[in-house]
Amino acid sequence: MLDRKLIIVSGKGGVGKSAIAVALGLRAQRAGKRVLISAMLEHTGAAIHLGADQLTYQPTDFASGVAAMSVERSAALEEYLRVQMRVPAAAPTRALSRAMQVLVDTAPGVREVISMGKPIFDTWQGNYDVVIVDAPPLGQLMSYLRAPAVVASLVPTGGIKVQAGRMADALADTETSTLVLVTTPEELPAAETSEALRQLEAEHLIRVGAVIANRVIPPLAVSESDLTTLAAGPGRDAALHHLALWEAQQAALDPLPIDIWLPYLFGVHTPQEVAAQLADFLEDAT
Amino acid sequence: MSEIVVITGAGGVGKTTLSASIGTALAAAGQRTLIITVDPARRLADALGVSLDGAAPNRPTRVDDVAELDALMLDLTASWEAITRRHTDPQIADRLLENPYFRAVADRFPAAQSYAAGEQVAEFADSRAWDVIVVDTPPAAGGIDFFMAPRQMQDLIGGRMLRWLTGARIPGRRLLYRTTARPMLRLADAVLGSALLEEIADFLLDLRNLYDGMAARAAAIERMLTTATVLVVSTDGPGPMREAGRFFRSLPEIAVSPAALVFNRALPDSWITARGPQGSSPLEQAVRDNMARWSTEARRNRDAREAMAARLEVPLVTVPWLRQAPRDLIALQALAGEHSGLLSLIQDD
Repeated sequence: MLDRKLIIVSGKGGVGKSAIAVALGLRAQRAGKRVLISAMLEHTGAAIHLGADQLTYQPTDFASGVAAMSVERSAALEEYLRVQMRVPAAAPTRALSRAMQVLVDTAPGVREVISMGKPIFDTWQGNYDVVIVDAPPLGQLMSYLRAPAVVASLVPTGGIKVQAGRMADALADTETSTLVLVTTPEELPAAETSEALRQLEAEHLIRVGAVIANRVIPPLAVSESDLTTLAAGPGRDAALHHLALWEAQQAALDPLPIDIWLPYLFGVHTPQEVAAQLADFLEDAT
Repeated sequence: MSEIVVITGAGGVGKTTLSASIGTALAAAGQRTLIITVDPARRLADALGVSLDGAAPNRPTRVDDVAELDALMLDLTASWEAITRRHTDPQIADRLLENPYFRAVADRFPAAQSYAAGEQVAEFADSRAWDVIVVDTPPAAGGIDFFMAPRQMQDLIGGRMLRWLTGARIPGRRLLYRTTARPMLRLADAVLGSALLEEIADFLLDLRNLYDGMAARAAAIERMLTTATVLVVSTDGPGPMREAGRFFRSLPEIAVSPAALVFNRALPDSWITARGPQGSSPLEQAVRDNMARWSTEARRNRDAREAMAARLEVPLVTVPWLRQAPRDLIALQALAGEHSGLLSLIQDD
């Protein structure tokens, strides 16, 4: 999975996909790669795991050795017009770019193609060995992955059609791109992951390289009936709590083909510590 | 007007179950209550023990005759269609509803869906058929969309950009672009192609017809939302807490002041100092080790919710973690006993 040039990380909101995108970046960096982490919608998620407040469109080099940026939509559109459509930088006035933004936002698929186009373009540029995308959450992922096809079918003549075709090819190329889906061992995220896997299987837009279960609690070596022999109290309650969570966790993850298990980190950790620890676990797992 | 209670927060924090239990308790206390959910999951229906897949979209289902409790799962596509028909003449409505871009707007702008939900809630509130309406908001962006949508839709449809972009329509449905917009349109033409561009502009022009009706309605929805009792739900965890924080940060824009931060599935404070059983049997040892783990968690859990409520300057209501989610009306009413703090917030208003 880590030998691909483009790694797209998604999952239901709140499962820790930004932490894992950063951890995968740290893992690849430790293996000697030049890494760019590209945050698409959630601009603060990846930032806090790198120890920053915000990311900018211009990549920042972090002390840990990785670079990171945020795909700011208006900047991506501006760069697209300038680089791909050869519109001189000075030409679009602010009013023009805002009007363009309205059009781009209204036409189905175009906004997604331009945003998703940025990390793909960065893999073509070759300044980095691997681009790791902190992608939109699962609820929106499919509309991003389907966007190139939507644009290709809707836009009969425009320049973006050519771009969309190349993008679709890059995503579908299993040598170049891979998708990592992150879930937590909870009912809703697991169900959404399962649904996404079904759709991805049917549509062949990108290959799923790994399904990661994050915040997995360890088993407890006692059973509910063992506990009836103990006196009532917080100890027994906490054990019952753990067993109930464990049971819900197994039920949620059972239908999923999990490739990598990352443990729940008990206690207090800063976001940076979380990413570093996850990178350690990834090193053992991959 | 009915009293409105809005339950908002990230997906998966237990909004739907809380809405159901609060609604059930209000109905049991003699208030005619309607629970509205936008969550497509079957949870509410399951918990209330009813099917919400009625034949007619957006018609409430009777849950409990004695307590006068109704529930409804909002069909946003149907709401959006109803809004289009309400605010424009039939011919334009038909044209809009057939337009793929119009469909796209409804599907892809969370604001459009949230606006549709708001307009539907306002309609139920105006009907005076209920004393209280409990709304379980869609999870997108921590539910803030539900509050921002009226303004966002007005901005989109009435915005200068739209007026600037679209000129007059000449016979034959061709569009005469504004001269000022021409340089941009040449650029857009290169990117999107002229056929698509024309369709988009055409669509934007039709959309403008919705403006007057929607603007009037949006103002009424905004008034309704500013007087609503808003409960922001979070659980322990970076995702839900970030969403709740984001909601509070957006408050200055929406003139809403939440009645409380509801911290759901809280761990008991008594665990913080608990040590677990004495004794050296493997069982006692395992339970003691597990207690150590969870006592750290309980401390973090308490510190997190208290710090959050203090930072956001909002009253904190703590709802304990349950080993099993309530699956029927009786369990829901029992759960409401845990929510006495919440119910008094609603009834004090």
